[in-house]
Amino acid sequence: MSLRSLLRKELYWSRRNLLVLLLVLCLVPGFFAASSLLFQDVIPRDTPVAVVAGSDDVTADELFAVQAGLSFFATPVEYGDRDPALRDLQREGVYAVVEVPHGIREPGRAVTFRLFVDGSMVPFKEPSQTIAAIMESRLDRELDATVSVERVVVGNSHDLSGYLVPIVLLGLVMLLAFTFVPYALTSERRALDRLRLESSLEAVVGAKLLFCTLLMLVPLVVFHLVLGAIGFDIAALTPVTVLAVLLTFVALSAVAMAVVVATRFTATGRLVNVVLLLFVLGFSGLAYPAGYFSALRKTVVRGMPTHYATVLVRSSMLRELPLSAFADWLVGLAGVAVAALVVLELSLVYYRRTV
Amino acid sequence: MAELALDGVTKRYGDIIALDDCSLAVETGGFHCLLGPNGSGKTTMLRLLLGLERPTEGTVTRRGVTVGAGFQRPSFYPSLSVRENLDVFARFQAEVTDEWRERLVSGVGLDKAVDRRAGDLSGGFARKLDLALALLGRPDVVLLDEPLGALDDVSRARLLDFLDAYAEDGHGVVVSTHRISAFEPSLTRVSILTEGLVALDRPVDDLPVEEGERLQDRYVEMVRDATS
Repeated sequence: MSLRSLLRKELYWSRRNLLVLLLVLCLVPGFFAASSLLFQDVIPRDTPVAVVAGSDDVTADELFAVQAGLSFFATPVEYGDRDPALRDLQREGVYAVVEVPHGIREPGRAVTFRLFVDGSMVPFKEPSQTIAAIMESRLDRELDATVSVERVVVGNSHDLSGYLVPIVLLGLVMLLAFTFVPYALTSERRALDRLRLESSLEAVVGAKLLFCTLLMLVPLVVFHLVLGAIGFDIAALTPVTVLAVLLTFVALSAVAMAVVVATRFTATGRLVNVVLLLFVLGFSGLAYPAGYFSALRKTVVRGMPTHYATVLVRSSMLRELPLSAFADWLVGLAGVAVAALVVLELSLVYYRRTV
Repeated sequence: MAELALDGVTKRYGDIIALDDCSLAVETGGFHCLLGPNGSGKTTMLRLLLGLERPTEGTVTRRGVTVGAGFQRPSFYPSLSVRENLDVFARFQAEVTDEWRERLVSGVGLDKAVDRRAGDLSGGFARKLDLALALLGRPDVVLLDEPLGALDDVSRARLLDFLDAYAEDGHGVVVSTHRISAFEPSLTRVSILTEGLVALDRPVDDLPVEEGERLQDRYVEMVRDATS
């Protein structure tokens, strides 16, 4: 009898929490089932690759022929010069740069293509060797000249453990923004009426966000100290890393706080934030770069501000690029943080208008 | 015009009308009782006066007065101690002297609990902390929602003495309750709310009470007549 009574209580509870159950049992599983479609290939097939002329003698026809040859296993993108192509290699806009020599249409002539890859892009190390081999055999078959491919690694080289450091750091930022910050804000609920009377919602939420953002400096310092202690040549306290981490934290925390406020500090808000955390973790190109996956997933990832934050932090920590190399992305990230703060303010207005 | 007032205020929650075209003024220097049965709109009225809710229609005036509040559900940081709560909220006020803080803690009977975690307090002590926080900044008007709830008889008597003295010092005290008896000797004004309407709002000397009749009995009779 007791079990029947309790099960009946569960039915009443379910009726009162239909939206939460719909989210957990229908929308989230549906989303994850559908998102599996976005992971189509194990080996990159649509990897964007820059194609540049090796000298002024290289003709448009030669560049076109090479692009046609590459399109079977990559997405070639023509660049007018090598410098912008290498710059995009560092910004993960392309994952390799192919330098085309002159004379590829001349029968019997030996030509050497150069395939530039970034030493810090650890997941691309093995595939780039395969791509070099495929490229050599395919272009040799299709072109009149005798083709060889020289693979050139540019920038600092890292192993997998070094490559994981920025991923872990950003994963931590996301985790704290979507779990710790909502928890800390929800803890204000019991005092909220008095706080609203003595101060304002904006001041309460703003102070919480500022405090949590300053707290984020602590894990950065911890990363710096631990990496130094274990002998990693990775700098965690560069201006680009600090700015990117803090701006990302502000943007994500503002969204998480907006969810908490809009759902009136209830458990529903915490659940929504966990779903958002999973989404951001899955679609920021944290572990595998955006160019690795299907066109659909690439589009999703490249639409996420957190993807650019990931590249920023990875470039700063592993490639030691200066602030000037990423000023435009940092400004963009700051814009996203401001937009997230506007969303937070709108949630506060909604809260006030609906009490 | 009054410094703290509602004018033609209606408050709806969906289809439910909590207050219907209500007008009420709160004066400093008096002891005002907002009387009404459960669900009559007392808490809604206080929250509107505090600016914590917006009226659906009508206007709320709050001009040049500082207002403190004791809430139906005590409002403080449960993870902090009583002393830390007092410290935190004192910083929102222009000036809280040590002498006033000590008098307040003693007046509401919080002395023994200052170092306890607020979340661990019993219902009575939680109420006392909420009342202390309401009065911490010595506001011109203090609005208290069911201030005697969960308090024992001794604590009630101490608090009533404290509020009496506070009103006599020229501050305004507004209490919302459904039991007027405890406050009766101190009151200067009574407003009765029934089903979201102000059924009566008069100085205590003008109340329609017969010689020897208790105010609580008269109030119950009035509400019965109004709702039957």
